[in-house]
Amino acid sequence: MDIINFTLNNAGLVLEYTFNHLSLVLIVLLISLALWISTGLIISWHDRLAGTVISLSNILFCIPSISLFGLFMTMPGFGLGRNTAVVVLVIYAMMPLVRSVYLGVKSVDASVVDAGKGMGMTPLQILLQIRIPMAWPMIFAGMRVSIVIVTGIATMATFIGEKNLGRLIHQGITRGDSDMIITGAIIVACMALLLDFIMARIQRRVISPGLRFDT
Amino acid sequence: MIELINVTKIFPGAPSPSVDNVSFRVNQGNICVLLGPSGCGKTTILRMMNRLEEPSSGKILINSENTLKSDPSALRRSIGYVIQQTGLLPHRTVARNIALVPGLLGWPQEKINSRVDELLKLMGLDSGDIADKYPHQLSGGQMQRVGVARAMAADPPIMLMDEPFGAVDPIIRIRLQDEFLKLQQQVRKTICFVTHDINEAIKMADYLIIFNQGRLVQMGSPVEVLTSPADDFVLSLIGDDRGVKILDLTRAETLMEPADNISDDLLGSGCTVQSYQPVKLALEVMMKKNQDRVGVCRGNHLAGTLSWSDIKRHINKVSGEESEL
Repeated sequence: MDIINFTLNNAGLVLEYTFNHLSLVLIVLLISLALWISTGLIISWHDRLAGTVISLSNILFCIPSISLFGLFMTMPGFGLGRNTAVVVLVIYAMMPLVRSVYLGVKSVDASVVDAGKGMGMTPLQILLQIRIPMAWPMIFAGMRVSIVIVTGIATMATFIGEKNLGRLIHQGITRGDSDMIITGAIIVACMALLLDFIMARIQRRVISPGLRFDT
Repeated sequence: MIELINVTKIFPGAPSPSVDNVSFRVNQGNICVLLGPSGCGKTTILRMMNRLEEPSSGKILINSENTLKSDPSALRRSIGYVIQQTGLLPHRTVARNIALVPGLLGWPQEKINSRVDELLKLMGLDSGDIADKYPHQLSGGQMQRVGVARAMAADPPIMLMDEPFGAVDPIIRIRLQDEFLKLQQQVRKTICFVTHDINEAIKMADYLIIFNQGRLVQMGSPVEVLTSPADDFVLSLIGDDRGVKILDLTRAETLMEPADNISDDLLGSGCTVQSYQPVKLALEVMMKKNQDRVGVCRGNHLAGTLSWSDIKRHINKVSGEESEL
């Protein structure tokens, strides 16, 4: 096994695949955060809608990724390529994000909300100044889970034409080249860890020290 | 002034009204205590005053204006609100918790800061770095104090307090009650105070209103309620020691008799109480000094004497039981 030699000999290819992988993950994350955090907030206002949306996200999350990529590829307007990859990965980010935002906002201590209301805060002020700040720990947990999931599942997008680290793994399997498989896997894992580390740093700045009971 | 007129609240699906045709008035600058067992409707009444609940029928006037015609958020900002669980925002420092309502009212930052400092001093929270701490770093007593400070931040003329000292141990509770009564002497707020603790009620109340199963059972000053309980429910709520409780509310001077020449000895032996002190304290002094009577002083000079038989006669009179003397 000589992963380092393999990487050095194929530096251009490995770099290109890594860059493609990272850019796909980042695009998916940007869209997912905007879309699913607002969805989570909206359903926290409509209890009946919440049940439906959360069940739907559970069902979608349970579909094997390879089949979902395949299904979307055959749909008109999607086909091979990045758009399809982005849409499918955004779907996989739905469950952890929507669920954590919804539960985070909903599980805020009722007496705190009651006090806020009794002090004369409007429903919007309660959402922005009480519910969301108090839900950050849970929302961050959801974001970090979804980052790891998206980075991993993005490897499957190689089957619909993405030239990313999944390709190293896939080709390594077909050629029986373990160096290639391990190189791909290690870079994917490191990328997930790095993104998670960055999120941890952001989390420390965003979450109030009053909610970190270890300090 | 707060006035309730025929207020009824029926929660959907409840078999009987939680608040049943209740009318009363809370006068300016008074502490009005709503007393009763859990589920008697006292908290619901309080929550209707700042429209956290809406009455099913009847109306609530605050300074002669119908609360149902005001904007709920604006109304609530003008009324202080303290709850047992404190409801402090855990993600904000003590100072920013206290600054909540002034912030909502759009006060300039400088005015907010000076008001927060003032309140921290007033509530005895100005030691150390309490202002910059988060609620979970505080003791139970400190949290309750911050809750009261927050409610007073915008200097509302009316305060609603729902068992504000219920979540702390008895020693701290008594200290908080004493501090609050002292504070009330200065600020003279119109206060509606909910409790299920008869001792707290008697101690805090200028005016006492007793509820049972949504109905108003009795109202009056604590002495009135103790001396003539309206029914068996009030009697059982007060407890078997109402005679002693009355002595706690009766000033020594109201029962004293004129001093005679022998009573100078009492002054010398230190067997005295001040005229404004409760009769219960006079009893305590009698027991300690092993005497049958104490001297009642105004300052350093003897104003009269109070004897064991005077007290016994008084208890028998107010309890309505025939004296054997």
